[in-house]
Amino acid sequence: MSPQLLQQLFTADALWALAPLIALCLGAMLVLLSDILPGTAGLRRPLFLLTIAAAAYGAVHGFGAPEGTYMMGSFHHSHALSAWTVIFLLSGLIAFEFGQRYYKEEARFLAEHDVLMLTSLAGMVMMAGAADLLAFFIGLETLSVPLYTLAGFRRARSDSVEAGLKYFMLGAFAAAMFLYGAALVYAATGTISIEDMSGMGSTLTEPLALAGFALIVGSLFFKISVFPFHLWVPDVYQGAPTPVTAFMATGTKAAGFAFLLTLMGQNLASGKPVLPESAAWIVGWIAVITMAAGNLGALVQTDLKRMLAYSGVAHAGTMLLAIAAGWHDTEPHGAQTALLFYMAAYVFTAGGAFGLLAWMESEGGEVTIESLKGLSARRPMLAAAMAVFMLSLGGIPPLGGFWGKYLVFSCAVRADMIPLAVIGVLMSVIALGYYLKVIVAMYMQPQTQSHSAGISPRLAAAVATGVCALVVVALGMLPSWVLERLG
Amino acid sequence: MDSLTLLVFLPLLGALVVAFTPREAVALQRGITLATLLAVCFIGLQVCLDFDGSSAAYQHVVDIPWFALPSGGGSSVPVHFRLGIDGLSVLMIGLTALLGPIVMLSTWGHITTRVKEFMVWLLIMQSGMLGVFLALDLVLFYVFWEITLVPLYFMLGIWGGERRLYATIKFFLYTLAGSLVMMVGVILLIYQLKTADVAKLTEYASSLDSTRQTWIFWAFALAFLIKVPAMPFHTWLPDAHTEAPTSGSVILAGVLLKMGTYGLLRFCIAMFPAAAIQAAPIMMVLGAAGIVYGAFLAMAQFDVKRLVACSSVSHLGYVLMGLFAFTQAGLRGGVLQMVNHGLSTGLLFLLIGMIYERRHTRMLDQYGGIASVMPLFALFFTLAVLSSVGLPGLNGFVGEYLILLGSFQSQPWIAGVAVTGVIFGAIYLLMATRKLLYGPLVHAENKRLSDLNLREVGLMVPIVVLCFWIGFAPNTFLSRTDASIDALVKRMQETRVALAAGAHAPSTAALPTEPDRR
Repeated sequence: MSPQLLQQLFTADALWALAPLIALCLGAMLVLLSDILPGTAGLRRPLFLLTIAAAAYGAVHGFGAPEGTYMMGSFHHSHALSAWTVIFLLSGLIAFEFGQRYYKEEARFLAEHDVLMLTSLAGMVMMAGAADLLAFFIGLETLSVPLYTLAGFRRARSDSVEAGLKYFMLGAFAAAMFLYGAALVYAATGTISIEDMSGMGSTLTEPLALAGFALIVGSLFFKISVFPFHLWVPDVYQGAPTPVTAFMATGTKAAGFAFLLTLMGQNLASGKPVLPESAAWIVGWIAVITMAAGNLGALVQTDLKRMLAYSGVAHAGTMLLAIAAGWHDTEPHGAQTALLFYMAAYVFTAGGAFGLLAWMESEGGEVTIESLKGLSARRPMLAAAMAVFMLSLGGIPPLGGFWGKYLVFSCAVRADMIPLAVIGVLMSVIALGYYLKVIVAMYMQPQTQSHSAGISPRLAAAVATGVCALVVVALGMLPSWVLERLG
Repeated sequence: MDSLTLLVFLPLLGALVVAFTPREAVALQRGITLATLLAVCFIGLQVCLDFDGSSAAYQHVVDIPWFALPSGGGSSVPVHFRLGIDGLSVLMIGLTALLGPIVMLSTWGHITTRVKEFMVWLLIMQSGMLGVFLALDLVLFYVFWEITLVPLYFMLGIWGGERRLYATIKFFLYTLAGSLVMMVGVILLIYQLKTADVAKLTEYASSLDSTRQTWIFWAFALAFLIKVPAMPFHTWLPDAHTEAPTSGSVILAGVLLKMGTYGLLRFCIAMFPAAAIQAAPIMMVLGAAGIVYGAFLAMAQFDVKRLVACSSVSHLGYVLMGLFAFTQAGLRGGVLQMVNHGLSTGLLFLLIGMIYERRHTRMLDQYGGIASVMPLFALFFTLAVLSSVGLPGLNGFVGEYLILLGSFQSQPWIAGVAVTGVIFGAIYLLMATRKLLYGPLVHAENKRLSDLNLREVGLMVPIVVLCFWIGFAPNTFLSRTDASIDALVKRMQETRVALAAGAHAPSTAALPTEPDRR
């Protein structure tokens, strides 16, 4: 590569656009070094937080920077990307804080854990910013490989290893699907740049391209846990260490949706969807079926982690409805705004709920409906936080989850997909059926099991829980807080 | 701060303060709650007294921008924190404000565990209910509407009777299902008209094409009918009422159900007069069916609380019928009957709660001859029953009479069926009174029952006074609603004329066909 080319590539704007990515990669290396070099083990936590802060600074700077495509058309910087980056970082931060004293035997490998998490975060940013199929694939793998390891991080436990293996096998399958799809799309269009494809019109609806896009979207559906690729979710989410589950449920999902939005043209300068319009109703129905599959699955669970895993599937379905509406939405960036808000609320809600679970688990084992009984008497603040999370997941105002739901269904209504909107909102009734079960157990049923020590106070987890709950309430009371920054 | 904002936020502030008191300081929690609710009651009644009944405009309007919702084509719809009252809501504000301290006083007897939590929920409830009646922004209204679900869910689930969990989840999911369909209606309406201001929506909504109006009308109506509850959607009510603690039942009967009828009036009828006229026969049939069916249900009950709960179905049938008669008498009666039902049924639930606290049963066959040991109780109970039955001189009569009059003017046959409900109502309520109060004192436990104490009498006195007041001088109350109702009646008549004139115009021609959707 000639020096001129390098100069063309690494302009100041390009470096700022890539700043979060660079910060995350550098941070990962530094944390890795801190693990190897003698006497620097204490730097692990500050380094991680510093990395997140540096990446966040880069992302916030991006809100003011001009939008554009860098790195020979492979990375697109937009203000939405900055917002997505903030969401990824929050997801990582929440998972990190709740993971602080979660691990027992594996505690000495914590540095590896953090490195993997930072690498995975870099993958997410790459996915969200990818402007061509190859860049996306690199992001996808950078995200996935560390996650496979993280899912199996509790190597002494068979369910964790099983989760890691299962996730790896299916993830590899999905990656292959993506590559095959990308190859077909390349064969049909002669380009891997999504921006270029969006101008190709009828080429995109040729059978070859359609098959390619179907495979690409299928592999994305796998990552965001949408029907019929959601079956791995309950096992993997349950087996993985809970902080990692929180990370997967929020961050990975957000990254997958961010790229779906790119394919829908909402991150690009052209603003035209690459995916064929005829898919709108198919995707819409898949969204509704996903909601049904997730909610009905969650309804019969007694293990809270598994219930939240299924609930995550249902939420993916809800969010997919905004994508389905994307073709006919009269608001040009409607799906983008709705999903960013939805995810912003979801990161704190689901992140908080899984995190709380991690906290309770590390003391008393599996958290079931049975073990939650009477929690409000034992730990009123904890129970209140959990109740806030449950009601927000159920979309009850004035909590953040409500506005996310409202915005997503607004997309569907604007796109004239009213039947889907009606079925979709009614799915929330089923959802409340199991979210309320948790509240019933905590508040309305007496304790049945003896709890030895209860839950020991932990500063990091307590602060994280409190902040999550407060943000969920604040997002509900003052949605303008986020909405204005998206508009 | 102006009084309407205060009405919404003062209870919330109280809840926050109570939440930070130590768990054991029960007296302090009760004191703060009572003081807050009394202040709210005072402000609320003051607002109602200041209300100028000769104007149909919104009064005391508060308008603070809240946030903006994206709404297609890059435009956005501002959502405001907008409050105000008019003739349709003024009586409900008064009723809600008044019942607050009364409900609070009634909790002394039956809320003895987890007092702090109860007080917090009670205050949040008050704030939510006032918000529903005050909100003049559709999104704000919807938020308050759903918020009210949560406190009652906890009240029922924690302090309720044996089958409380079943009842509370049923209540929550049933009403939520309706609300969520309404949410789609809200989204669609705001998207179509690019505003969330209730006044503007009321003005513009009739410009939508008539199929769309009909769809949105029913999306709203479903939520309200479930809340009322009208006949086929009523099954959650007897369960919820029976299992709720006394205070929960009073809130439910007194205010919460009225949110449904108020919603029908404010949103379904006032916003979509054409759709409402087309739906009126269905609504009136539902109302009349509710009156008769509720009465039969009540007759078959052995549990006195369940009996009163079923009577609510019957009584709210009147309101539904009166509102959809669209005559001046019907609407006046409907609005007044909302208050009447809140007063008399609220009173009945309070009394049932008082006797339950003493005897721990609600089965009618466990009573009899109570009048001789509890004369004061007997007096109040009889008064409540007579008010509920509609004895002239008491409040129920005025409301029912106006409703039946108004309904006869528009749908004589349906009203004819409904009249039988008056007779059935008298039968089941008087029979229950006889079984409870009179006859021989057969059960030994009943001989030791103590009569009502000063607190119990005191908290009922304001309600009883109002029952007589409305019975003898309903104009004090009706005069405040007249201007708004007259305006509404005028609007309905104009719409009816327009509908009749434009029978071949697209507005009605589009009706039978399914809306074309992609």
